[in-house]
Amino acid sequence: MPSWPAKPTVVGASTTRVDATAAVTGAAKYSSDIQTGGWLYGMIFRSRWPAAHVTKVNVDKARQVPGIKAAVVEREGERTVRFYGEELAAVAGVSKQACLDALRAISVEATPLPFVVKEEVAKKPDAPRVWPDAPNLAEPNVKEQGDVDKAFAEAAAVVEGFFTTAVQIHHPLEPHGNTVSVTNDGVTCWASTQGIFSVREGLASYLDVSQEKVRVITEHMGGGFGAKFGPGSEGGLAARLSQAAGAPVKLMLTRFDQALAVGNRPSSFQRIRLGAGADGKLVAFDMDAFGTAGFGAGAASAGGGGGAGFPAPYIYTVPNIRVKQASVAINAGQGRAFRAPGHPVASFGMESILDELAVKLKMDPVEIRLKNDPSEVRRREYEIGADRFGWKRKYKPPGSTTGPVKVGVGCGGATWGGGGRGSQAEAQINPDGSLEIRCGTQDLGTGTHTVVAVVAAEVFGLKPGQITVKIGDTRFPPSGASGGSTTAASVCPAIFDACTNALQRLQEAAGVADARGANWTSACKKLGVNPLTVHGEWREGLSSRGAGGVQFAEVEVDTETGFVKVRKILCVQDCGLVVNKLTCETQIQGGIIMGLGYALYEERVMDSTTGFVLNPNFETYKLPGFADVPDIEVILMEMPERGVIGVGEPCTIPTASAIANAVANALGVRVCSLPVTPARVLAALGKAVKPGGSV
Amino acid sequence: MNSFEYVSPRTVDGAISRVTDRGRFFAGGIDILGEMKEYIASPQVLVSVKELPATHEIEPGKSWTIGANVTISEIEQHAGLRRTFPGLQQAAAEVGSPQIRNVATVGGNLAQHSRCWYYRHRDIQCLKRGGSTCYAREGDNRYHSLFTGNPCISPVVSNLAIALAALDAKVIVRRGKDEAALTIPDLYAKAWDNPVVHHSLGPTDLILRVQIPDEGRASAYRQISEKASFDWALVSCAAAAKVDGNKLRQVRVVLGAVAPVPYQVAAAHEYLEGRELTDEVAAQASEIMLKDALALDYNGYKVPIARALIHRTLQQLVG
Repeated sequence: MPSWPAKPTVVGASTTRVDATAAVTGAAKYSSDIQTGGWLYGMIFRSRWPAAHVTKVNVDKARQVPGIKAAVVEREGERTVRFYGEELAAVAGVSKQACLDALRAISVEATPLPFVVKEEVAKKPDAPRVWPDAPNLAEPNVKEQGDVDKAFAEAAAVVEGFFTTAVQIHHPLEPHGNTVSVTNDGVTCWASTQGIFSVREGLASYLDVSQEKVRVITEHMGGGFGAKFGPGSEGGLAARLSQAAGAPVKLMLTRFDQALAVGNRPSSFQRIRLGAGADGKLVAFDMDAFGTAGFGAGAASAGGGGGAGFPAPYIYTVPNIRVKQASVAINAGQGRAFRAPGHPVASFGMESILDELAVKLKMDPVEIRLKNDPSEVRRREYEIGADRFGWKRKYKPPGSTTGPVKVGVGCGGATWGGGGRGSQAEAQINPDGSLEIRCGTQDLGTGTHTVVAVVAAEVFGLKPGQITVKIGDTRFPPSGASGGSTTAASVCPAIFDACTNALQRLQEAAGVADARGANWTSACKKLGVNPLTVHGEWREGLSSRGAGGVQFAEVEVDTETGFVKVRKILCVQDCGLVVNKLTCETQIQGGIIMGLGYALYEERVMDSTTGFVLNPNFETYKLPGFADVPDIEVILMEMPERGVIGVGEPCTIPTASAIANAVANALGVRVCSLPVTPARVLAALGKAVKPGGSV
Repeated sequence: MNSFEYVSPRTVDGAISRVTDRGRFFAGGIDILGEMKEYIASPQVLVSVKELPATHEIEPGKSWTIGANVTISEIEQHAGLRRTFPGLQQAAAEVGSPQIRNVATVGGNLAQHSRCWYYRHRDIQCLKRGGSTCYAREGDNRYHSLFTGNPCISPVVSNLAIALAALDAKVIVRRGKDEAALTIPDLYAKAWDNPVVHHSLGPTDLILRVQIPDEGRASAYRQISEKASFDWALVSCAAAAKVDGNKLRQVRVVLGAVAPVPYQVAAAHEYLEGRELTDEVAAQASEIMLKDALALDYNGYKVPIARALIHRTLQQLVG
C-alpha cells in the first residue's frame, strides 16, 4: 500500500489558495460569470398556487414579447402542482427585463386545490392531502432494542423534552443555475455544480443524447452544500430553451427562486425521553419524531439524503431504545441533502436532552459525555477542548449569573463518515519543466485547486504556485461528485498516485535518480519534445473515513430583551492528515458560522393562509453577518497516520447544540426550538405577553 | 419592473409638477426600487429630487436644519449632530448596512413604506395594497404592531422618525404652493387610522428638510433586532429630556416598530415631567406607555423588549 511521506514539507503547512488573487480580482470566472458568445438570459415561470390542478399553460404571448427568443412549457398536458414555486414554464431572451416581461405574459388555467403547509396540521388525518393516494403522515420507521419500559422503570433519573428544528433553506451565495449551449455538435454546460459528471449524466439523459456529446465545465463555483448535484429543473429548462432558441442560455435562479425550489434541510419535531443510572450511564432512550421534507415526503421521496429521517440516539450508545420516525408531506419545496444531512437535527435533540439529564443528576455536561460517548477520539477531544476553553472555570449551575445579562456555556459532539473513493487524475510534465495536473473534480469554494497543487508540489519537491491545476471539466479523468465530505479524501490520493507515477517515469526517461526540487528543470529538459502524461487513481491507504469533532460555546443572553450574543466557539476536530492547514481551518470556521445561522437565525416561514414562503429574501431569511460571528478557535487533532479525511460536514453539526445548551445554561430554562430567537427566549422565561393578553 | 420615465428637475416646482399622482419621488432609491422590482409600485415617472437646491446641507443653529437629501451616513458621521443630538446619530447608525446608509436619504427614510412581509410579497394583494384582508392579522405577525387604530397591523420602521419625534423635530414639506411644517406625529397621523397609507403625505407632497430645535436636551436611541447588525428593529425606543439636576424636564419617549406611527403616550410624558429617574419611575412610565398594547398571536414578546428599552433609553439620558 502507498503511504504519505513521513515528514512532508508542503502537505500540512498553511498554503494560501493558489486561486486567491484570481478570486478577489474577479479574474476567476464563476459559473454565473460565464458569458459565452450570443448568450441569452433564461428565467423560470413558477406556480403561484401551493396546490392546483393545471389544465393549460399558455406561453404564446410570452413569445411575442420583444427580445424573447424562446418559451417552453415545463411539461405538456394537465398536471397537479404541489407547492408555490413549482416550475411551469421558462423563457429566454436578450435581456433580463425582456424575460421578466415575458413571465408576466404567460397565462395559466388552473383550479386551486386545498393545501397545507404546517407540519402539525398536515399530520392530522383530515388535513388536505398533498398526494391523493396517501395520507401526509407516512408510516413511521420503527427501531426497537432491549426492554425500554423496564429500563425506564429502573432508571435513577428520567427526563423528557420536545424539541423542534426549522426548515433551513439552501442559500449558497452563488444561486443554482447553468449556461447551456445545445448545438448539433453537442452540448456544453457551464454549471454551478458539485458534480460535473452527475450533471453530464443528467443532461444526456434529459436530452436523450450520448454522454460523449455532453461537456460540463465548472472552473469556479460559489457553494453547493448538498443542493447542486444534478442539472436540476433549471438545467433541463435551460437546455430546452437553448435548443429552441439556437443560442446558449444562461439560466441562473434568483434569490426568490432559491427560497422556493432548490431544496432545504427538513424540519423536525422530536419528543424524547432519556433515562440513566445514578452514575450517569444512559440506560433508555425513547423518541417519537416527525418532520417534513416538503411535498415529496408523503409518496415519492426527493431522495439523496434529503429525507426527514435522522440518526437517533445520534452518537451515543444506549442499551434500550425505541425510535419512531415519520415524515409528513406538506405543500412546500422539497428537502435535499444539506451539509451533514440529518446530523445537526439529530444532534440538537440528543445533546439538549442529555444536558437536561446532566442537570437532573447534578453532573457536569462534559462528565456525562465522557461517561457515555463511545468514541475514544471524541473523548480525547472533550478533554483537550475543555482544558483550552476553561470549561471547569466557566461552567456554573444553570441560571446562576446575577443581573439581567446571563452567561452560559455548552458543548456537543459530532460524527461523520467522509472518506475517499474512486477518483482518477493525470499529470502532464512538459519538457520546459511546467506541469499540469488534471482531474475531473470541482472546487466548491473549499480550496480543491489548492490541495491538488499542494499534493503535487509535495511529490515533485516544487512550490504549489508552480503547478497548473486543471479541474472542473468532464474532459479530464473522472472524479466523484463533491458530497459527503469526500472530495479531499478522494482527490488527494489520486493526485499523489499520478504524481508519484509521473515522477518515476520522468526519472526513468531522463535517467536521473532524483528529479525533484533543484533537479527538476534539467530532468524535464531531457524529455526532448514530447511531454509525459501519466495516469493515477485513488488507492487504499492514503485516506480513511470517520471523523469526530466536539464544540464548546459561550454565550451571553439578555433576559430582558431575549437577545443572544455568542461570545466564543471552540472546535476540536479530528482531521486525519491535514493537507492544507489554512483551508482546513477556514472550512471549519465556515461550518461553524453556518451552524450559528441554524442556531439563532435561519427558518423558512410558511404562511398558512396563502401557502407562500413569507421570507424569500435575505431581509427576512436571516443569515449571520460579521457582527454576529464570535471568536472562533479551531484546534485540529491531527492523526496523519489515518491519511486524508474530509471535515466539511462534521464541523457544522454540533454548533447549534452547543449554543442552545449554553443558552439553557445561562437562563436556567431551555429554549427547545431552533432558531433561538429573542421571541423564544422571552417566551421560555415566561415574559412574552400571551395573545390577546394585556400588560 | 415596468418601464418608466426618469426626470431630474432642478426646482421644487418642477419636481412637483412632474410627479402628479402617477409618479414617485426618487432619491436614494432604496425603498422605491424594491417596490418596483416586486411590481408593488409601477410609477409612470420617477422624479429624481437629488438635484433640488438646498436639500443636501446640515446647518447648525438654534434650530438645526437637515436637508432631505442628506444621507444617513452623513448624519451618522456628523460630529456636531453627534454632540447635539446623540439619539439621532444612534438611530442613523442602526439603519441597514453601511452601503445602504451611504445611499439612503433623510427624506426617503421618513417616507419609506411598510416592510410587512405580506405587503412586500409579490403575489399577495393585502389590505395595504388595495386588497380586502390584512393577512398578518390571522397569519404570522411576529414583526407587527402592538398598537393600531386600523385593520392593518404593519408598523412604522423609520429609525429617524423615532429619534426625531423625541427631539420635537419639524418636517418641512412642500404641499402644493406652500411649505407646511409638520410635527412627526402629523407626518404619520393618517397611518394610524387609514390602512392603505404609510404616512400623511399625499403623492405630490415633498419633504424638503427637517428642523430640530436645539434646546440642550439629552437624547438617546436604542433598538433590539434579531441580529447584531443590518437588521430591522423588533422594537426601538428614543428618548429626550432636559436633565435638570436629577430631574427630567420636557421628556419625550417614543417607541418604534410597535405601531403604524412613532408611538408616544402623553400621560407617560406628563408622569415623567419633573421626576427623578429611578427604576420604579421608569417601570411606571413603561406601564403607562404599554397599557393599551394588544398582543397578537406571535408578537407578545415585543412588550418586554419595549419595557426594557424604555428603561434603558431613559437611563442613558441621565448617564
